[in-house]
Amino acid sequence: MKLASLIICVFFLSACQTLPVITQATPPEKTASACPNPFLKQKTTLIHAIEVHMAGGIKSAVIGVTEADPTTREISCAIMPAERMVLFEAIETNRTLDVRRAMSPFDSAHFARNMLEDIKLIFFEPLGNIEKMGFLPSGEEACRWRTGNSDTIDVLKTGSGLSEVKLYSGSGKVKRYIKFNDLAGGFYQNIELRAQEIASYTLFMNLVEARPAEN
Amino acid sequence: MRWPKVSFLFIICGMFLSAFVPGAYAADADFEALRKNAAQIKTIQADFIQTKSMKILAKPLISEGRFYYAAPDSFRWEYLKPLKSIVINHKGLTKRYIYSGGKMVEDESGGAQAMKIILSEINSWMSGNFDQNPSFQATLKEATYTQITLTPAGQNMNGMLQKVIITVSKKDAAVKSVNIIESETSATIIDFKNTQTNKSIPESMFQDIE
Repeated sequence: MKLASLIICVFFLSACQTLPVITQATPPEKTASACPNPFLKQKTTLIHAIEVHMAGGIKSAVIGVTEADPTTREISCAIMPAERMVLFEAIETNRTLDVRRAMSPFDSAHFARNMLEDIKLIFFEPLGNIEKMGFLPSGEEACRWRTGNSDTIDVLKTGSGLSEVKLYSGSGKVKRYIKFNDLAGGFYQNIELRAQEIASYTLFMNLVEARPAEN
Repeated sequence: MRWPKVSFLFIICGMFLSAFVPGAYAADADFEALRKNAAQIKTIQADFIQTKSMKILAKPLISEGRFYYAAPDSFRWEYLKPLKSIVINHKGLTKRYIYSGGKMVEDESGGAQAMKIILSEINSWMSGNFDQNPSFQATLKEATYTQITLTPAGQNMNGMLQKVIITVSKKDAAVKSVNIIESETSATIIDFKNTQTNKSIPESMFQDIE
């Protein structure tokens, strides 16, 4: 009985992880403009060569085309394998997702929604309220957003100027970790996204082309 | 991760090989002549420029690469830029390689194996059997260039392609371009140049990726 109680305690303790502490700057300015901002500043079409690392060490590569507007939060996106056939195409406007084309292996029910959420996490400033601003114990400049669905998003800037985004679940588990590298011409040339899920995956996104929309 | 059963690459290769026929073809200009003359091709090598147009792309995505074929069923389709990748098929074994960590590594996502499923269709195209493949309805039109239009007829192409138009030069019978129309908003044009036929290609080209 004691052993069972101990196992239950350990289970719950391990399931509920703690978010890193943010020491607030003084005076706190809880405005997004004071936060690290690796996100898009204007509507842009981006082409990425994406290396996909899946569980079991399996590697593949696709080309991703994304048109993203940070003002309206509208997204158009497409995925092509090396041979350039469009296997997946979707548009999200006014929070309505319209999947125009979805072929295997991109035709599962959750794929489109998860992909669009990943794109928003990479390119758009989080929605929701800024809960904390300041510095992590390790020295990174940090802003913490609380989203509507009890998730938490930390946007970080390291001492070396690199930006990172971490998405935590309500229990404090890191669900997504994004690292932005090599800023040139206003766009990050390399973006790495690590997804912690039942089937975890990592995307290495190398920028081929970025084309801001003409005003 | 599984790739579609019908690979874009195989469609491209099939179109190219089946349409590349000697000069006699232009005069005869029928499908029987295509079948007859396709049998004369032992090797092909060519550079290609692939132009991908999509509604969300203000400017098309341009890719460049090189293509090699040796009868009866060996080929190498190599993209050089912007994203390096290679598919080779030799003695019944199909492999896809991607550029990762500064070197070419095998794509083990299942894509290459899935491609094997449609090899039977490719062999059909290689033999010039445009009008005998139940997956496509073929029409031939003579104008400044010879145009072969393939329209999907079977269920397995449904939703993937609207049509494929192959343009062949009347002068030298070389394939000039392959236009693959996927939908109203997406199309791919492959322009071939520096095409050479029946020139020796080392077997290693279909075995080694470097």
